[in-house]
Formats: sequence, structure tokens, C-alpha cells
Amino acid sequence: MRHTLIALVEDRPGALNRVLGLLRGRGLGLHSIAVGDSEKPGVKRTTVLVDTESVEHTIKQLNRLIEVLEVTDVTNAEYVVRETALVKVHVAEPRRGEIKTVADVFGARIVGSSPQTVVVEMTDTPDRLGEMIARVMAIGACETMRSGSLAMALGGPTPRVNAVVAEDATRTWWSQADGIS
Amino acid sequence: MTEVRDPLPASRLSPPASRVPPPAERTGAQVMCEALVRENVEVMFGIPGGAIMPFYHAMWEYRDQLRHVLCRHEQGAGHAAEGYARSTGKTGVCVATSGPGATNLVTPIANAWMDSTPLVAITGQVSSVVLGKDAFQETDITGITLPITKHNYRVSRAEDLPSVFHEAFHIARTGRPGPVLIDVTKDAQQARLVPDWNVTLNVPGFSAPAALDPRAIREAARLLAGASKPLILAGQGVIIAGAANELRVLAERTGIPVITTLHGIGAFPEDHPLSIGMPGMHGWVHVNRAIQECDVLLSIGARFDDRVTGKASTFAPRAQVIHIDIDPSEIGKNVKVAVAIIGDARAALCALLDQIPPRDAAIWLRNIRETQATHQHRQPYLRRPDTPELMPHDVYAALNAALNSRGGYRVITDVGQHQMWAAQLIEWRRPRTHITSGGAGTMGFAVPAAMGAAIAHPDETIWAIVGDGGFQMTNQELATIGQEGIKNVKIAIVNNGYLGMVRQWQQLFEGRRYSGTPLTGPSFAGLAEAYGLRGFTVDRIEDAEEAIRTAWDHDGSVVLDFRVEREANVFPLVPPGLSIGEMITREAPA
Repeated sequence: MRHTLIALVEDRPGALNRVLGLLRGRGLGLHSIAVGDSEKPGVKRTTVLVDTESVEHTIKQLNRLIEVLEVTDVTNAEYVVRETALVKVHVAEPRRGEIKTVADVFGARIVGSSPQTVVVEMTDTPDRLGEMIARVMAIGACETMRSGSLAMALGGPTPRVNAVVAEDATRTWWSQADGIS
Repeated sequence: MTEVRDPLPASRLSPPASRVPPPAERTGAQVMCEALVRENVEVMFGIPGGAIMPFYHAMWEYRDQLRHVLCRHEQGAGHAAEGYARSTGKTGVCVATSGPGATNLVTPIANAWMDSTPLVAITGQVSSVVLGKDAFQETDITGITLPITKHNYRVSRAEDLPSVFHEAFHIARTGRPGPVLIDVTKDAQQARLVPDWNVTLNVPGFSAPAALDPRAIREAARLLAGASKPLILAGQGVIIAGAANELRVLAERTGIPVITTLHGIGAFPEDHPLSIGMPGMHGWVHVNRAIQECDVLLSIGARFDDRVTGKASTFAPRAQVIHIDIDPSEIGKNVKVAVAIIGDARAALCALLDQIPPRDAAIWLRNIRETQATHQHRQPYLRRPDTPELMPHDVYAALNAALNSRGGYRVITDVGQHQMWAAQLIEWRRPRTHITSGGAGTMGFAVPAAMGAAIAHPDETIWAIVGDGGFQMTNQELATIGQEGIKNVKIAIVNNGYLGMVRQWQQLFEGRRYSGTPLTGPSFAGLAEAYGLRGFTVDRIEDAEEAIRTAWDHDGSVVLDFRVEREANVFPLVPPGLSIGEMITREAPA
């Protein structure tokens, strides 16, 4: 079953390599991984989508890695997921209006173009990205680049720094985004 | 009478290392040596080479405090460090250069990983300026050892050395022990610095085991109190935690029969009335049947390896399992667990002892003993006609008699038939007296590991029991034993001219296709003599005891080549992939 894990990983050489190596060594299917700075200096927050029969065991194995500070499975929690896609569509000038129409429908933006191509950027759920990409592929040949899923649980423990502000701000922002009040 | 003095001024002679004045500024290599001294390392096993030469240069000054044992192969150095660690509980240290030196350490590191042995491996690495340029003897050893180390480091800044060494030793020995590799670039070894020893551990991702969960302890005590067929399964965790006494008290208070896994051998004395023996693939019938029948199984520091469980889904089908382990990732990995107690085995046993009322399990134990009486003493060690008269079990009977009448021994076994016979046929009594390669099953482990244990315990007699296959994988370390003047290694080769365990499987499961298993060798006694050791060939039953006595009493290391029946098999046997209830106890009639 596919699980969405959020891991805090120390930013040290080889740390990500260790996480990936563990998943590969245990024969687990890695669907996507997204890595970036967290609010803590020297710590990366990563979202890992992994196929595993025993998520409990996978989390324990990840926790054995020295650089892994914390792993949470948000799959069954209330959480939001977002992914960014850049889609380069090979399309001649006369049909660019169609791309614009699709982009508008999906809330995507055209962020660049060349004489032969248009680049569309969109941030949404992975499913919505898939739908948009399918639509533009019908118009012209596409090259896609996706960031991998970013996930964040709505509730959860309060971060220690700027606790109240941070949590409230997060809750408000995501509540608006997903229409949850 | 006037003493003739050396004309050289004293300052130009090389002074004893301990009197070297501590310079404020040191090389990275000196810092490495000092870090080892600070971690109470007494001995390391290794081989020098280009990228580790600055470390060896510095070692010269520290030679009074740090003994270096030059091995003949890095694999030997690694296993020797493991033998040192497993026999003492301290952290073993091995050293190699970059490239092939480092890759030769991969097998012992993997072995230490599988068997939870505290090991710090130090490797040289090419200089930072050529790193990543496929320099001479450059290998990405941190990448290679990623999945077989608890942690590893590449150090290219000498300032990091004090904290990295401190962290490495902390990680290697803390919690569930294991190997840590430190790869130090040559320029970091050569750099000059004023080391800052004021290091505080900063490994937030490596937490000490949490406090014991009192609810789990209560629940475990309740299950054990209510069980009618309880069993204790003791693994190496008991030995690592130093919990053999607590285990004994618990067993005696509750009357629960005790099983010891291959690595748990010695955690509970086998001459104790509650000891019933080893489970698993080559375990005893009465033990495996007891597991399949028991209603509560208390596992202490054992990890339910497939060699113990057989087909895991059929293991202990009636049992509620209580699993004590310091590593949370072992809980529920192979076997479904009713109560998990995460923590040190000794602490957990002490907590259990506070809660558990005295009880007994005499009827249950009597049932087990009845099964044992029907099976164990009718092992089918068949003497075939026209074969050598010395059978493996003759050798073990003689060894068992000698070991248990003399004491003061440790035994290191290798991997294969001889290993299983040793586990079955010798009556083990004390922790850390039986050391073997279990999880990884590394042939070639015994001879170098025995050497490491012999250095750690110069006043004891260290027996290596090894097959002729495993012996020939690392026997070059006989030269190290000779050079170091190690007198207390006694090697018993159970020589059947085959890779015996593979041949046994070929016989039983592969239609006797002895493909790649017949094995010749030199005269092992002659080889031992060539290395400056004593060597004896033994091929008659009545000579076995005498040979062991001679070897034990000889003031030097000895190789005994026991030429045994070539096609003796290890029974009982659970065929691979089957339930431990389905054992083959003897050969099918031909």
C-alpha cells in the first residue's frame, strides 16, 4: 500500500543516500521523494511516497538511521498534498490559445515560451496535475517535470519556535486552501 | 664501576612514547591515535598502505599505549577485531588503507552488522584534492558500506576528528551494538591543528532507548503468570546486556524452560535443569516441538532469524509472544508480537522480576523431557562401512570432555556442519564462551576471530573449531599468530574434504549432485609447522583425546587436523522453507 511519510533528516553528506538506500535494500517501491529546507537550520524536511506492506516497520527502520530525526505517516491523518509541475508543450503559435484556455481552467500559468514551445507551471494535487497534463498532451507533444509530492498534516504537535503563531498561521492558510473551516 | 654511557645525547634517542611531551599542535593522525587512547582502545588490527600511512607514522609515538597487530589480509584484521569485541564486550578496532584495503573490510563489517558486534573500522582515503577523480586506490567506501554500518563518516577536515571518533565509538557500542566506519582523507591525517577535545555528543537522531514501558512489563508478567506452557527464548541480547544472572533468576523463580539461540548459547548454562537447548533449523526435536506447542513465548534479545523460525507464518502458532529487544525495528519484523518491551535486556528482566510471582511449569517441562528422551539420544550418526573410523561426534565428545573438565576456554566456530555440531554436541555453560558467525554466515571467521579473542584473553585457551573449507579461506593469519607470538590459539579442523553443509543439502535435496563441493587441501599439520606452529593429524578415535590434551598443554598455538568421515550429516534438520515442526531426523534408507 502506498504511504505518505514525512521525515525530518539532518542535512549531512550521504543522509539522503542512506534513506534511499534503506528503501531500496528493503525492496520497497519509492514513488516520489521531495526534499527541502525545514524551519530548523541544518535539517531537511522530506516527503516520501513509498509502497510498503508494513509502514510501521519501514518507519522503525528509517528511525534507525542516525540522521533521521523523526518520521510521521500522514496517510490516514488529515493532510494536504501539493505538487508542482512544469510542462513544456511543443505547439505552434496558432494553437497557443488552447493551452492558455486549459491553463486558466486548471489555475495554471504560462511561465515562458520559445518559438516552438510554451512552458506551463501548475501547483495542485498530483491528480489534478495529471488531468491538466493529459489535456495539454492532446494539444501537443509534452515534456513534463514534476517536483514530487509535498505533504503536510493539518494538526499535529506544535513546533517549539514561535509555537502559537506558526501553528495558527499554518492552520488558517491550509484551511482556506482546501476549503476546510 | 663506572657505567658506560651511550655517547648520543638522550634527546636524540627515541624516548618511550609515554614521555613524548604533548605538543599543542598535532597532526590529524596524532589526533586519531589520541582519540583511540581516549576511547580506551588497547589494540587494533590492520594493514598499512598509502592513504593510511600518516596514521601509521603517528602510531609509532603511541606504540606503548596502542598495540597494532599486523594481519595478513584485511578480512582477517576485521574478524580479529570482531573476535576481540565478542569475547570482551568492548569495541573492536580494525584499520585499512583506501581502495582494496577498505573493500577487504567489507565482509567483516557486514558480519559485525548482522551479529550486532561493536566495531570501529578506520580506513584511509585519498587526499581531498584528488577525491572523485578515480585516483590510485580510491574507492567510495562510505558509499559501499552504507547499508552494512550503523553509521559511517568521511572526514576531510582534521578539526572534525575528535568529535567524529567520539561519536563513532558511542554509536558502535550504544543500544544495539554494530559497526561504524570512519574514512579519513590523507590530507586530513596530515593537517596540523590544535585539537579541541571538549567535544559533546551531538547525535539527536540516535536516541538512547526510552524508559521501559511499565504497562508492557505488567502485561508480560500477567501473560507469564497465566501461561500453562511458557517458554523463554534467549538470544545474544542477554549476553550483550550482561543479563545471564537475571535470566537465571527469572527462570528459577518461574520454572520456565529456557531455549538458547545459536548466538544466545552461553546465556543460560546447558547443565541447568531448565535448559532445553537450541531451536531452529538444526535445533533439537523436543525444542522445536515445544515452541510449536507453547502458549506464551518470552523472547529476550533474539530477532527471530529464519534459521530459528523456519517458515515464519507457522512459527509458534499457539503462542502469545512477548518480545524484549533494545531495537524497536525488530519488534514484529518476522513474528507477530503480543507484548513488546523495548529496552535493555537486563533492565527489562529486572523490571519483570519485580512483577512476576513465583510459579512452576513442572508438568510442561516433564512433557518436553519425554520428547527429548525419545529423540535426542538417538541421533543417527551412522557409521558407513569402509569409511574412516573417526566420526565428527567422536571429535566433539573429546572436545566437550576437555573443555568442561578444564575450564578457562572460549570457542570460536566458523560456518557449516562443524558449527552446528559444536552448537549441538558441546555443553555450553558461560556467556561469551561460544562465538560464531551467525547472521552473515561468514566462512573464514573462526581463525582470525580466535586470534583476536586470544589477544584479549592471553590467560585463556582459545579454541577455533573450523571446517577444512573455512580454514582455507583465512589460514594466512597463522602467520600473524606466529609473528605476534600468540600461544593460546588451538585450532581443531573438522576435515571431511567437502564443503560439508552444501554437500549435505546436495545429498538430501539435490539428488546427490556433488557439484563444486569436493575439496582438497595441503597437509594442514604441515602447513601449521611451516608457519612455526605445531600441527598434528588425527584420524583414529583413540587419538582424539590425547591430541586435544597435547594441544591444550603445548606452550604455543596448535593446529589439529581431524580427518573425519566424509559424508556425515547434521541432524535434525528442518528443510528450508518448511515449518520447524517438520524436521528430518535421520537419513532416508539408501
